[in-house]
Amino acid sequence: MIEFKGVNKWFDKLHVLNQINLMIPKGEVLVICGPSGSGKSTLIRCINKLEPIQKGEIIVNEMSVHKPTTNLTKLRAEIGFIFQQFHLYPHMTALQNIMLAPVNVKKITKVEAEKIARQKLERVGLSEKADSYPAQLSGGQQQRVAIARGLAMSPEIMLFDEPTSALDPEMIGEVLDVMVSLALEGITMCVVTHEMGFAKKVADRVLFMDEGKIIETGKPTDFFDNPKTERAADFISKILTH
Amino acid sequence: MLDNFNFRIIFEYLPLFLNGLKFTFLISLVALFLALITGIIACACRISSIKVLKYPVIAYIEIIRSTPLLVQIYFLYFGLPTLGIRVPEIQTGIIALMLNSGAYIAEIIRAGINSVDQGQIEAGLSSGLNYVQRMRFIILPQALGVTVPPLLGQAIVLVKDTSLLSLISVVELTRSGQTMTSERFMPSEAFLTVAFFYMCIYFCLKALADWSQRKLIFREAY
Repeated sequence: MIEFKGVNKWFDKLHVLNQINLMIPKGEVLVICGPSGSGKSTLIRCINKLEPIQKGEIIVNEMSVHKPTTNLTKLRAEIGFIFQQFHLYPHMTALQNIMLAPVNVKKITKVEAEKIARQKLERVGLSEKADSYPAQLSGGQQQRVAIARGLAMSPEIMLFDEPTSALDPEMIGEVLDVMVSLALEGITMCVVTHEMGFAKKVADRVLFMDEGKIIETGKPTDFFDNPKTERAADFISKILTH
Repeated sequence: MLDNFNFRIIFEYLPLFLNGLKFTFLISLVALFLALITGIIACACRISSIKVLKYPVIAYIEIIRSTPLLVQIYFLYFGLPTLGIRVPEIQTGIIALMLNSGAYIAEIIRAGINSVDQGQIEAGLSSGLNYVQRMRFIILPQALGVTVPPLLGQAIVLVKDTSLLSLISVVELTRSGQTMTSERFMPSEAFLTVAFFYMCIYFCLKALADWSQRKLIFREAY
């Protein structure tokens, strides 16, 4: 479903992605963790070409993402992306936020789009907030609307870039609950997060990155309880003690 | 000081001033409208990645911003006829104001567009919206709120800049003051009246700016 073949990326001289080879099969829930600056956000941002790469190839659904001839609109419509800072459109209500892409990218009617939008809002438990503006919602609610907005395009893949890092602790649970239910539905997910509870509960595989390289991958229980590398063991001990 | 003022003469010359006011108003309105169109087109070229559009517009904006308006007016007034283009003074003045304000308006709109958070663009990109759709639905509506107040500020500048057109003998408000001065030699009365009318226009536009500031700025996102 998603395949990285020898992917390299530099920010000027900084080698942010160093020879990444990775295969993510359909339906897998992959958790990516690692220290800040390790390239984990960059890795998932390359999947829908929010970032260019300098070497190698990424293939999503048989489409080579970074080839100039690739139909990016079609590709991006199949991939939902959830940002750390939500990035809801502040001048639109929750409902309008969710309807924008289905109406303009998928070209479905407004009536149909509204029906889908209301379904997705219900799915994330925010039916009553349809007409609220983002500023009237809490951080957790905004992130759930952002997830509903992603789901409204019925993507095959959902990418999450530290979805709970900007939230107050008491709001993390409500967002994680939505993500767990998505994972159980069999949607392909790549999640950059340090939420180990989430990783243990639903992840099929954990990937640990440092300095632009994939250091270690494994089943969540193996990774957290018996890390193979010293670097990973050190990282886990640090996030556990806090 | 006011004891020495001859207010009767002002009333006597009121039709002259009102005629000047009318032309100042009309010239400002036409020039502002044309400057807005110029500014929008120039801004679109300025932020475009097409080099043949971008670089000439950068040159235009920099030339306008680095030279005084009066020099630009004189350049058009004396320069165009030598090129064989004969344009009446009033049109010359409007063209000068249009080109001048257009450059500033292009930069105001560009600042508004740049003020929209990069994350908003990424959100649009990642849901598959194309450039035009991102501009229309996401960026421009948010840029509008921050753009309107400085645009009205530029409108106020433009109205006051029309006074420079008196130097190429366009009949407008300042010119009315000069006419009265030369006929009756009462410059204090004349230019006090002129100043009063400019202030009237200023306060109208300022009220509009304040109102728009309250109405148009969108709620913050976070």
